[in-house]
Amino acid sequence: MHSDRLESLLENSRGRPDRLIEVLLDVQDSEGYISEHAMRRIAQVLGVPLMNVYSAATFYKAFSLTPRGKHTCTVCMGTACHVRGAPLLLHELEGQLGVLPGMTTPDGLFTVERVNCVGACAMGPVVILDGAYRHHMTPAALRKVIRQLRKAEGQAEVKTNA
Amino acid sequence: MERTITITIDGAKLRVPEGTSVLEAAIRYGICIPHLCHMHGISDIGACRLCVVEHVKNGRSRVTASCTLEARDGMDIRANSPRIRHIRRNIAELLVAEAPNSRAIQDIAVRCGVKNVRYPFRNSNCVLCGKCVRICAEHLHANAIGFAGRGRNRKVVFPFGTRPEFCRLCGMCITHCPMTIPPCDGPMRPGQERLCGKCESQLQINEKFDIVGMCTWCDLGKGFQCGRYAGAR
Amino acid sequence: MPELTSVQSLAELRRQITARRASFKTTITICGGTGCSASGSQPVVEALRRELAGRGLQNTVLLRTTGCHGFCEQGPLMVIDPGGIFYCHVTPDDAAEIVARTVVEGQVVERLLYTDPVSGRKIRTESEIPFYKAQNRVLLSLNRLVDPTSIEDYIAIGGYAALEKVLAGMKPEEVIEQIKASGLRGRGGGGFPTGRKWESCRAAHGSPKYVVCNADEGDPGAYMDRSLLEGNPHSVLEGMIIGAYAIGASHGFIYVRREYPLAVKHARQAVEQAREYGLLGKNILGTGFSFDVEIARGGGAFVCGESTALMASLEGRPGEPRAKDVHTVEAGYRNKPTNLNNVETWANVPHIINRGAQWFAAMGTEGSKGTKIFALTGRVRNTGLVEVPMGTALRTIVFDIGGGPSNGAAIKAVQTGGPSGGCLPAEKFDLPVDFEALDQAGSMVGSGGMVVMDEHTCMVDVARYFLEFLLDESCGKCVPCRLGIDRMLEILNDITAGRGTPQQIELLEDLAQTVAQASLCGLGKTAPNPVLSTLRYFRHEYEAHIRDRKCPAGVCRALISYSIDAAKCTGCGVCAAACPSGAISGAKKQPHTIDAGKCTRCGICRSECRFNAIMVA
Repeated sequence: MHSDRLESLLENSRGRPDRLIEVLLDVQDSEGYISEHAMRRIAQVLGVPLMNVYSAATFYKAFSLTPRGKHTCTVCMGTACHVRGAPLLLHELEGQLGVLPGMTTPDGLFTVERVNCVGACAMGPVVILDGAYRHHMTPAALRKVIRQLRKAEGQAEVKTNA
Repeated sequence: MERTITITIDGAKLRVPEGTSVLEAAIRYGICIPHLCHMHGISDIGACRLCVVEHVKNGRSRVTASCTLEARDGMDIRANSPRIRHIRRNIAELLVAEAPNSRAIQDIAVRCGVKNVRYPFRNSNCVLCGKCVRICAEHLHANAIGFAGRGRNRKVVFPFGTRPEFCRLCGMCITHCPMTIPPCDGPMRPGQERLCGKCESQLQINEKFDIVGMCTWCDLGKGFQCGRYAGAR
Repeated sequence: MPELTSVQSLAELRRQITARRASFKTTITICGGTGCSASGSQPVVEALRRELAGRGLQNTVLLRTTGCHGFCEQGPLMVIDPGGIFYCHVTPDDAAEIVARTVVEGQVVERLLYTDPVSGRKIRTESEIPFYKAQNRVLLSLNRLVDPTSIEDYIAIGGYAALEKVLAGMKPEEVIEQIKASGLRGRGGGGFPTGRKWESCRAAHGSPKYVVCNADEGDPGAYMDRSLLEGNPHSVLEGMIIGAYAIGASHGFIYVRREYPLAVKHARQAVEQAREYGLLGKNILGTGFSFDVEIARGGGAFVCGESTALMASLEGRPGEPRAKDVHTVEAGYRNKPTNLNNVETWANVPHIINRGAQWFAAMGTEGSKGTKIFALTGRVRNTGLVEVPMGTALRTIVFDIGGGPSNGAAIKAVQTGGPSGGCLPAEKFDLPVDFEALDQAGSMVGSGGMVVMDEHTCMVDVARYFLEFLLDESCGKCVPCRLGIDRMLEILNDITAGRGTPQQIELLEDLAQTVAQASLCGLGKTAPNPVLSTLRYFRHEYEAHIRDRKCPAGVCRALISYSIDAAKCTGCGVCAAACPSGAISGAKKQPHTIDAGKCTRCGICRSECRFNAIMVA
């Protein structure tokens, strides 16, 4: 991570261990992940033992310790979305992209995430694609979107039938 | 001048200094309350739940861990009711199903009355009691190991998975780990909190290890000059 | 930006704002909440703005984007006043017609009106729509009237008048008495009497004292708090300022789930505006009372909805709960007296102060006063946010407001209280939503999530789903939760995979009791509830899975098989193309077949077949 950017995120938190979660969230939002270097710097500036930074970074689902893909596809797995078939969407993504939730495709293009409720329950099943909320998603619609994104990245379409 | 207060455990009146936990009060007086994650000298976290007792107040009884319950004057505690024994047995059963190859956990299970284990055995080498973490943080002030992840994925690790420069190789973590405590050689000595069921234990031991019921070859041992690891080669 | 230095100046400001707005003849309200935003309300706003400007109407027609109206599936939603004309599914292309016909000519655009799915009739105004009509929207109705990014909107409708009343002449103890007399109980799920909580915190030793707003709303399927915080953040803030005054707190936090970015944004803006106007900070309205609020974000952990875990997170640590032998009102954030309440609880406070404790206590039942917001979702026609007086029967909510089943399949159960709650069968729908009544029935009011399930929902799978969720969210510190839920899930997995034995039910019940009694925090203690309530009311489904190796609802993959009805199959090939396992084959226009060996019973084919030709047995 660019050191100037990291330093500016840590500015208001010097000697403030209570700011750890906020700082980690800022770094995550800015870089897409928390690097070892960032954690060491955070430990120094905030005055938190390195182990504690690592514990917090691995405790909360918001943080990723590895870089995320170019496109993030988050499937809501809340109760309302679940009864409307959200598991089908995860299955579809597994078939299309070959990765499980929390993983990124080897080419670094797609990260699949699952989240436990985004609060748009009446609109389920909900998938958040690169920050945009898609509602009433179906496996077919999801397949179409992945296809479009792949095309935009210049990738060939993947046939999923064995 | 420290204030002393009086609490009642199973009808027995105990006088202890203010600020003592109910568990410590019991240990002081020789009342048996099984425990795993408690250790004198480090903070209590109430993780293993073996030390649960019934705290009776206003006609209602609340099940709570005695290690995190500060003794207050007039407290009424039931440490061995049928309800508590049942809960302890179930918790010990969960622990032994998880880590059957720990002598300390087998001992606790036997003492808590576990007769059969109703779950498929697993073979974890850590039950997350956190003694190692607390010793490293509170006694050595090194914070070289700690918890990472959460839930089923919670583990004791070094930061980033490698032993840091500031780990002093003191070996305290291994010494106090219940997974590596050797069995005692005779009757329980005063001050020893381990519960021994060596002669009573009929429980399954993992046949893979031919070293008599001691080391579980935990991952922490790999980074250290662990005597047991070295001795086995 | 006027900084208000006295209570009177706030009242004066309200008069000025109202006078300024008198020139607007018409108001167009568009819902900009998360749900409607997802359906595209933003482009509608842009289109309307252009249309109004084009016709030179921007000074007589007020265009206001508000927070969530609670009827998300009908979005984007629009209401036009005067008249309360209600339009749904509005698109940017409708802008011109809406302005020309409704705004200018006062005529309705028929095709944009709401159609009642039960009667088939078109309905003109919001208040006539059965979904809204049967509710008592004390809190939610305000969402319609304010732009959440405008403190002046809030002040104009009477906002901060309760704070005026309190600071002008009520002692802290009087405020606490009002809240006690109202009977308000925590709306986050705990149901603890709010007045008593405030009283304990006030009496506790230690300084400074803190107030916290719990906006973590982790229950999947619940979004009441999102709607309130996104849509009317000042109402929550006002409640907190009044609470801080009553308790003697000088600092507050609003802890918002990071999965609610819009709520975070609006809460931050509200705090900044309140500070600018002198309603937060030092010497509020010149009364010498100082109080400020900080917004904190969650890191993605359901367990942080638990008060001690939340406070650990505020202190920069992993969200691990601690024992609650000493309550947080005595030692909470940084071991200081801390009063934590849910968003909806705080939002009720200004209403109680303004309209009186008796008004609030007149609604509801003996033990549960006031109104409660529910997030009604699942297999029901009208999904959305429903605010009803406590004591309303479940049947009224599910059928009168919810409109009954969405798919023709009979409604089997309603799940309330999120992962800490339970499932109640249709036979129990006469039960009122009341803390004690639902507790006794094996469920709970909880935070307000209400998921409707029909005959295509497998109740054993529901129990399994919740256990999986809780195991994923468990902090992992204590044995009964970490290992106990794991072993309960292991058994549920056996049962849903057709490997279950009757002894496992006994073991499940025994283990459940231990987990409920011995766990350190509420997550573990309530984790067995979904299992226990489904065993209580749907034991026959468990028995079918175990004894007959069948899943009556056709959900559990190991116990069902998919096949294609040759009579209905048109050979369109959609299923074959969709199948991720390549298990479907067939020539074009010829009936297709499923290879059971390759089929994983994922259900994708059935969800895409337009001819109902895929069968589950």
